[in-house]
Amino acid sequence: MICCKECIDLLFDYFEGSLEQETKNSLEEHFQDCPPCIAFLNTYKSTTTLCRETLNQIEIPDEVRRALQNFLKEHKIQQKKM
Amino acid sequence: MSFTQQKEDKEIEEALVRDLQAGNLEAYDRIAELYQKKIYALSFNLMRNQMDAQDVTQEVLLTLFRKINTFQGKSAFSSWVYRITLNASYMKLRSKKKEPNISIDELLPSFNGAGFQQEKIQDWSGSTESLLFTNETREVIKKAVDLLPEKEKVVFLLRDVEGLSTEKVSEILDLTVPAVKSRLHRGRLFLRKKLSGYFEEYSSPKGEI
Repeated sequence: MICCKECIDLLFDYFEGSLEQETKNSLEEHFQDCPPCIAFLNTYKSTTTLCRETLNQIEIPDEVRRALQNFLKEHKIQQKKM
Repeated sequence: MSFTQQKEDKEIEEALVRDLQAGNLEAYDRIAELYQKKIYALSFNLMRNQMDAQDVTQEVLLTLFRKINTFQGKSAFSSWVYRITLNASYMKLRSKKKEPNISIDELLPSFNGAGFQQEKIQDWSGSTESLLFTNETREVIKKAVDLLPEKEKVVFLLRDVEGLSTEKVSEILDLTVPAVKSRLHRGRLFLRKKLSGYFEEYSSPKGEI
């Protein structure tokens, strides 16, 4: 029987699907008897999703895009002169 | 992304690098177009400042061009781009006043002698949907990520936000795969704890009408 500490140490590999079948079974057995660890599992998973969905939305603002275009153009003109 | 797609992307990338090494300026435009969003997003997430992220993006694009002949193809070109982006962002951050880091250990779960969790764990995972798109929630999430110590933050951004594989992150950062996994896990635990304070308040039965 595994304890909560071991359970949390195994969470990463559990999500990756990289646990051996036997370890996975013991972990799921632990979840059945331990609501706090289920709560931990669910919120661990949500944390990753929430952070990803918030931070991967970043787009280059229009003014930065224009600045970058000008920068590249200037730079290319300099290169051609060299 | 499918394997064939990945393979095609890799071939296009290699051809562009060869063209650029041969001095083809059109290849430079294509490379800038392919990578500028990735460079900008990563540096913005590290510095949380538009002007700084713009500076870093320009600097990285310039470095790609100037140093392309030092790129030997030992790692993927994209890994090289990420490394240059990280170095440029860290240089920029170092020149600014830094807030003291919080110790990550204080925020990791604690257990009693029998190995049970010591704090009460509330499951707020079901109540995040309605809150996800509010500005307040976004700010809380960004603040939590900003507070992550540097080592954990970079792994978290590359792997969980950019969606790169563990192996790719280990190549970029020159770390072993177990080290990447361990940092990522610690980072997620830190963020979970930080977000719990916020979401528990909203999902607590007391708050319901």
